[in-house]
Amino acid sequence: MKERILETLRDLRAYALDRGYEIVLDYHEEDSYLMRFANSAISLNTNEHLIRLEITAFAGRKRASYELITDLDKINEMKQGVDVAAEMVQHAQPLEYDPTIPAFAASFADESAYDEDLAQLANAEKLAYFNRAVEGLETDDLQLSGIFSSGETIAAQSNTRSEHTQFWRASDAQVNAVLAHATLKWEVIAEQSAQCKADLDPEPLRRDLAYLLERYQTETAQQIPLGRYDIVFGSSAIADMLNFMNWIGFSGGSMKRGFSMLAEDKVGKKVFSDKITLVDDPDQIATFPFKRDFTGIERKPFPLFERGIFKGFVWFQDDADEFGARPTGHTVMHKSLALHGGEVDVASLQALVGMPRQKDLLYIPFLHYMNIVNPSKGVITASSRFGALLLKKDGSLVVPYNVRLTQSLLDIFSDKVAWLSRQTVACNTSMSYGARNPTAIRVPKFMCVEGLEISHSNSSY
Amino acid sequence: MIEQLKQQIERIKAQGATYVDARWYPFEESNQLVMLNGNLKNASASRESGVGIRVLYQGAWGFSASSDLGDLGALFDKALDNARVAAERVTFPIRLAEKDAVQATFSSPCEVNPFEVPLADKVAFLKEMDDKLKQEGVFLRFSRLNFIRKQIVFVDSEGSEIEKLITEVFAGLEVDGKDAQGMTHERKFTLGQQGKPTRGWESIDRQLFAQNAERIVRELKEMLVADDCPKEDRSVILLPGIMFLQTHETIGHALELDRILGYELAFAGGSFVTLDDFGKLRYGSPKLTARANATVPNSPGSFGFDDDGIPAKDTVLIDKGVLVGAITGRQMVEEANARARKPIFDGSGGANRATSFYRVPIERMTNINIDPGTDGTLDDIVARTEKGIVLDGERSWSIGSNREQFHFATDIGWLVDEGKVTRVVKNATYKGDTLKFWNSLSAVGDESTWELKFVDNCGKGQPNQVMQLGHGVPVCRFDNVRIGE
Repeated sequence: MKERILETLRDLRAYALDRGYEIVLDYHEEDSYLMRFANSAISLNTNEHLIRLEITAFAGRKRASYELITDLDKINEMKQGVDVAAEMVQHAQPLEYDPTIPAFAASFADESAYDEDLAQLANAEKLAYFNRAVEGLETDDLQLSGIFSSGETIAAQSNTRSEHTQFWRASDAQVNAVLAHATLKWEVIAEQSAQCKADLDPEPLRRDLAYLLERYQTETAQQIPLGRYDIVFGSSAIADMLNFMNWIGFSGGSMKRGFSMLAEDKVGKKVFSDKITLVDDPDQIATFPFKRDFTGIERKPFPLFERGIFKGFVWFQDDADEFGARPTGHTVMHKSLALHGGEVDVASLQALVGMPRQKDLLYIPFLHYMNIVNPSKGVITASSRFGALLLKKDGSLVVPYNVRLTQSLLDIFSDKVAWLSRQTVACNTSMSYGARNPTAIRVPKFMCVEGLEISHSNSSY
Repeated sequence: MIEQLKQQIERIKAQGATYVDARWYPFEESNQLVMLNGNLKNASASRESGVGIRVLYQGAWGFSASSDLGDLGALFDKALDNARVAAERVTFPIRLAEKDAVQATFSSPCEVNPFEVPLADKVAFLKEMDDKLKQEGVFLRFSRLNFIRKQIVFVDSEGSEIEKLITEVFAGLEVDGKDAQGMTHERKFTLGQQGKPTRGWESIDRQLFAQNAERIVRELKEMLVADDCPKEDRSVILLPGIMFLQTHETIGHALELDRILGYELAFAGGSFVTLDDFGKLRYGSPKLTARANATVPNSPGSFGFDDDGIPAKDTVLIDKGVLVGAITGRQMVEEANARARKPIFDGSGGANRATSFYRVPIERMTNINIDPGTDGTLDDIVARTEKGIVLDGERSWSIGSNREQFHFATDIGWLVDEGKVTRVVKNATYKGDTLKFWNSLSAVGDESTWELKFVDNCGKGQPNQVMQLGHGVPVCRFDNVRIGE
C-alpha cells in the first residue's frame, strides 16, 4: 500500500512538472471504525474508508488549493484535480509575503505508531472489550453509552521542489464508557487511549466505573455553594485545558493576531507555577507523533514551559512566512503535548479519595463544552461532568451537582497549582470532525489547584 | 447507478434486513475563500462523491460508506455485517415510524450557481470588502465566502426515490481591534436570509455588505474605548445576532429527541427534558412560541426531504410557553412513544439528516424559529426597559451537558437605563438556567425585528457531523439575568 501511495504521488508530481506547475500534494487516508453505544445497546456500528488528496498550487505569491475525496485507481481524476488547482491559482490574489514551498532534503517514512492488530481489530473483539468493561454494572436504571473508535490514518506528502516524499501511518483507538442513570441523569465515565492493541485493557475501566458508581449510588448529592474551592482536575479536564492553551497560548500566529493570552515579552519569563513543564514531545509514542512536519523539518522535543517559564512560541510555516519568524516544525496535524508529572503519588481515584487532606477538595474529572470567553486574558468557561466528587476534609464524600468554572488559564496554571500527580496517562483528545486525526496528550492523572472560583452551581443533575 | 442500488437493496433485504437505504452523492463540491488583512489566506475548493448504506437488521443499524463505487456489493455486505454485530447488543429493537413512499425532487432556490462565478470575481468581492474594513483602529479584518453544492439521490427498500440539489452560500465579515489594555475585541456581520427568496451568488449583495462593514467598524471603535460590562442583574435584550444562538443551544439542542432519549450521552450530552414533560412543561413564558420549520423559503434548514425520505414539516415545539414537540426522525418517535406508553409523537418530524455520504443520519435542527410577538420594535422594547442591556454577536458559548444552564459572551453590549440606551460596554457576558431564563421572557419583538440567521457549523454526533441550518428569531427581552461574569 505504501509504495502504491508514494508511486501515485510521484506520478502526480511528474504530471505537474510536465506542465510547469508548482504544487504541494497532501495525501490523507483513513480506515475508520466506530462502534457507538447508547441505552446499553449498540446504537451504531459504522466504518468509512476515505482517501483525500489536497493539491496546493503556487504561482509566485499566489496560492490556491483543491481537495478531492478519491481512490487510488482514479489517477486521471487526481490529475484533473492538479489541473483545477493550477487553474485556480492563476485567479488568486498575491499574498503580501512569500509563501514557502517545501522541498524535502530526503525521503522519510515513519510507521512507528502503527500496529496492524489494533488497526484491524475485529467487531467481536470490540464488543467483548466493552462487555467486560461494564460486566455486572448495568441495570435497568444504569445504562451504557460510549464509543469504541479505532482505525488507521496515513498521511503522505510530495512537492514539485524535490523528488523526495514523506509517509506516516498510525493506528489508534479511543474508548469512552459512560454509565448514566436513566432518571436521575447523573453520569460517570472511564476512558482509554490506545496506540497499539496491547494498550487496550478493559479492567481499569471496569474498576473506575465500579468505584464511581458506588460513590454515586451511596453518597449524598447536593448543590454546592458558590465560592472558591481547591479543585483536583482529572486527566481529561487537564488535557482539555491544554488543548485550549494550544489554541490561545503558544501559537505565534495567534499571538500576532491578538488571540493569545501570551505576549512576545513573556518569552523567558515565569508565567506559570514552577511545577508546570509542558513539552511538545514527538518521542511520546502514545500521542501518535509526527517525527517530521509536513514541510520536512525534523521534530525534536520542543519545550513550551519549563518549570513555569515560557520558552517560546511555535510557528506554523504559513504564520512564520507572514510574520517573518523561523518555523519550528509545527506544520503538522497535531502536536505531541506532554505535561510532566509532579511529585505526589496518586495513581487512582481511590488513592486520591484516600489521601489525607486539610481542606475540602472538589474533584472535577471532565470539563464539558469548554469555550473561550476572552482569548487575550485566557479566560475559558466549562461545566463539570462525568463523576465529580466533593472530598470533605473530614474524610466523607459528597456528590455535587454539576458546576461551572469561568477562569483564566493563566490563573489555573499559576502558583495556585498545589501539586501534580507523579503518574501520567495518555488522554485521547481526538475529535471525529472531518478527516481522521488521532490525537492524545500525556498529562498527570491529577492536578490540584487552590482557590478557584465556582461561578454557577446546578440545583439538580 | 440507481438501478444498481435498488438491486443491492433487494439483495440485502433478501438476507434478512428489515430496511435498507442508500444515499448516493454524485457530487458534493465546496469553495471556501478567506481574506485576512488583505491576504487571500484560503482559496480552496473540494469535490467528493460516494455512497452511504444503512441497513436495519434484527433491530440494529449497520452503516458503511465509501467513495469507491467499484464494488457496491461489498459495501452493502459490510453494512449488513456491521448491523449483524450490532444486533448482538440490542435493548430496544429499532422500529421506524410509518411513512409514505415518495418519488420526488427538490432544488434549493438559487438563481446564479456560485460555482459558475469566476474565482476572480469572488476574490474581487473580498478585496472590495477588505478595503472597506481597512480603517484606523481595526487590527484584524476578515472577509469570507463559503459555497456548497451537492446532489443527493436517496433510494430505500420502501419504494422511495428522491433526488435533491442543494446550494448553500455563507458569507461574513469580521473586524478585531485592541483596547488600551491590549485586549482584543471583535465585531461581526454574517449573511442571513435578509428576506430574500433565493440563495445563489445573487445573495452576495455588495450594498448590504458595505453597509454592514461600515457598521461593524463603527461599533468596534466604540467598544475599544468603552468600559467593561458591569457585573450585576439586568434585563437582557437579545438582538437576532445572539438570540439565534440562545435559541439554538437551549431550545434546539435540548429538544432533539435522540438527546432526550439518551443517544448522545457519550459525547454531546443529554437534555433536561423528559418524555413526561411533553404537553405539560412550562418551558417559557406565554410569549414564547417556537417551531421547527423546514418549509421556510430559502434557508439551510429547508431541504425538501430529510434523509429518511420524509417531506419537510413545520412542527410547533413550544406553544405559548408549553412544551409540545421535539426535533424528530422515524426511529426516535417510535422509541419515544413506546417508552412513554402513549403516543406523544404522530410520525416523524422529518429532521433526520446526515452531513455527507459517509455519515449516518441523526436528528438535526431544521429552522428552529421563534414566532414574532406583539411588543413592537426594538425601540419600543428599549423604551419599556428600566434597567437592561442590549446584546449582539456571538463571541463564546458554553452549555451544561443536559442543556440546563449556559454562559454566553457577546461581541458588544449597550446599557439601557430608564428606557434609553446610555452607553456601549465591552466584554459583555450573561448566564442563566435554561427554564428560569425562558420563563423570564417579558417581551418579544414584532416582525420588524425578526431575522432568519444561517448557521453553517453545528456539530453533533460521533463520528461528528457539521450541519447547516437556520434560526428565524425576533428581538427578545429576558428579566433578572446575571451579566458580566
